[in-house]
Amino acid sequence: MKAPTIDYLAFAPILATLGGSLLVIAFALARASFVQRVVLPGLALVSIAVAAAFAVITWETGDQTTIIEGALAVDALALGFSLLVYAAGIGAIALSLRSEIARDAGRGEYYALLLASITGMTILVAAENLVTLFVGFELLSIPLYVMCAAAVRDERSLESGLKYLIVGSVGSATLLYGLAMIYGATGSTDFAGISAAIGTGVDATDPLLLSGIALAITGLAFKASVAPFHQWTPDVYEGAPTPVTAFMAVATKIAAFGVILRLFDDALLSTQLQWGPALAALCWVTIIVGNVGAIGQSSLKRMLAWSGVAQAGYLLAGIVVGTRLGAEAVFFYLAVYLLMNIAAFAVVIARERVSEHGDGLRSLERLGEASPWLAWPMTIAMLGLAGFPLTAGFFGKFQLINATVSGSYESLAIAIVIGSMISLAYYLRVIAVMWMSPREIEIPAAPGRASRKVRPAEGWSPEAGAAAQPEVTAVAVLCAVLVLAIGIFPDPLFDVARDVGSSLAGFL
Amino acid sequence: MLQAYLPVLVFVALGVAIASLFASVNRLLGPRRPNKVKQEPYECGLPSDVTKSFRFGLSFYMIAMLFILFDIEVVFLYPVAVQLEAFGVFALVETAVFVALLMLGFVFVWRRGALEWK
Amino acid sequence: MSITWFVVLSAVLFAIGLFGVMTRRSPLVILLCLELMLNAGNLALIAFARGHGNADGQVFALIVMVVAACEVVVGLGLIVAMYRRRMPIDADAASELRG
Repeated sequence: MKAPTIDYLAFAPILATLGGSLLVIAFALARASFVQRVVLPGLALVSIAVAAAFAVITWETGDQTTIIEGALAVDALALGFSLLVYAAGIGAIALSLRSEIARDAGRGEYYALLLASITGMTILVAAENLVTLFVGFELLSIPLYVMCAAAVRDERSLESGLKYLIVGSVGSATLLYGLAMIYGATGSTDFAGISAAIGTGVDATDPLLLSGIALAITGLAFKASVAPFHQWTPDVYEGAPTPVTAFMAVATKIAAFGVILRLFDDALLSTQLQWGPALAALCWVTIIVGNVGAIGQSSLKRMLAWSGVAQAGYLLAGIVVGTRLGAEAVFFYLAVYLLMNIAAFAVVIARERVSEHGDGLRSLERLGEASPWLAWPMTIAMLGLAGFPLTAGFFGKFQLINATVSGSYESLAIAIVIGSMISLAYYLRVIAVMWMSPREIEIPAAPGRASRKVRPAEGWSPEAGAAAQPEVTAVAVLCAVLVLAIGIFPDPLFDVARDVGSSLAGFL
Repeated sequence: MLQAYLPVLVFVALGVAIASLFASVNRLLGPRRPNKVKQEPYECGLPSDVTKSFRFGLSFYMIAMLFILFDIEVVFLYPVAVQLEAFGVFALVETAVFVALLMLGFVFVWRRGALEWK
Repeated sequence: MSITWFVVLSAVLFAIGLFGVMTRRSPLVILLCLELMLNAGNLALIAFARGHGNADGQVFALIVMVVAACEVVVGLGLIVAMYRRRMPIDADAASELRG
């Protein structure tokens, strides 16, 4: 045995965000206002930018390799999903800049935890080994539990943090037990070793292996909020501070589906006949439960949470088929999902800070007249999530349906279509609230409790509207423009998705 | 092929049976003399209602939590110790980096005043 | 000695932990049960490592121990924060968010 050689260039993206996290923690000890307000978020942004730059450089070389004795993969799949996570991180930092949450929780801790979570996600999507998978999974989760509780003065935030911790830990423990059984069946923690063992020494229907796969699916389903393991989602999304919700909704889903893709479509591909039908059933349940749950929600955050459950169902369809086309569709859809959700959450944050209705649907009333710069991004995001043509969401769903049909899982294509039809009910209502006068539409009654009292940060007045928070509006507009741009010229993103799909070697 | 699943069935059945046995044997055999204190959610004896006069020993929890973290991290030194001969200088550098990171955590905790006994 | 009994024991521990998480009301006891579930996974890993005669499972178990400690400390921290705000420490009463 000898010491492992480490390719530090290929490892650089992960080191950059991890180092950024440590630097932020160290700088956080300085109490000066300039450091707290400018240096800490700046440092966080710079470390993400450096990580993204290293990821692009490594991608350009086109190498498909593993580093650190096969613990981490450096391929287009890992780098592509990492870049999506970085985009979500930059969005989350922009949305947190003027949020009182970061100030209350301590900016240093807040940004350091965010960077730690990003590091965990990039480790997770690069995991080539059950141990790295679990480490990435936990490094992603534990900082998020704390961030959900970041609004230390808000009881609902603390409660959502504890709830997420308990549910998330049950998921982790289940995943761990599943991984232990997979290791027990195959005698290897390496993905390559597992996939080599199945078919040679171990039967694809080995009970121990299948029980392990079932438990691993359950554990990952908790994190990706796949029904019936989704019950925590609306509660936690609603209770957590909105910038954290935005990050969690987008980045966790990217990381979870990235690892599901690698685990199932690479390590366990030869058992596809066994897990395929099970995942297909989960996919159906998730699409129906998510879409039906979203109808009638009067809180935008809860509505987006349920919609996230439904979207997890669509994404699962791309995993089930176990083809390269499916993997490409999953990546494409996640990229689009990222833009649409960040746009929507940016608008929610902008309104929540000034409206007496908090994150309620009513906070959007007549937004079309009051501030079109917020109303248009929200409109585009909702149309995109519903899958309208000329938005990126259309191509996303088209890709998924295409993948399911050519993978002869036509029933899942039907599920996606039915789900999209149901989803019009709640997506279009948001648009109606913004553009039509209140008398013409019916808004569901607010829930029994008073909406959260929002204290706008200093220097704001409701009248100032969008102009007072330029970075939030900018994020919303930028994402909406990209959704439209991809909806009209999807080819560049298709090419990237093809590159990502090609890094899974098992497909024919 | 179905026979291959028999061990799983036995496995699950055993797990469920023994778990529910352990979970219910207390209820079946144990004496039940409920009183107010026993009904409270904190089964370890902490009062669950916080009265105004109650002083919460926050420092105790802080120190305990920090202790768990720093205590358990040392487990990472164990594999290094086992393979010290084989890894040589690499192990030394890794250990130095690891301890430096722990130090950063310690300095942070210390400067933020989490170690002050209030 | 066969590893079967160790694996069965770990399954039993996992089941007890899961049962506890689902039925107990106090977050502290829920955290204890979560530890039980994670450590059941550890026992299974070590048993399988013995069965296969390689050390991968043992290394995995070492890492899980650290992760479990982090999780519990975060959980305790949240409970302490809730306690300081005089919130009811009862998983059933924590129902501000429901629906």
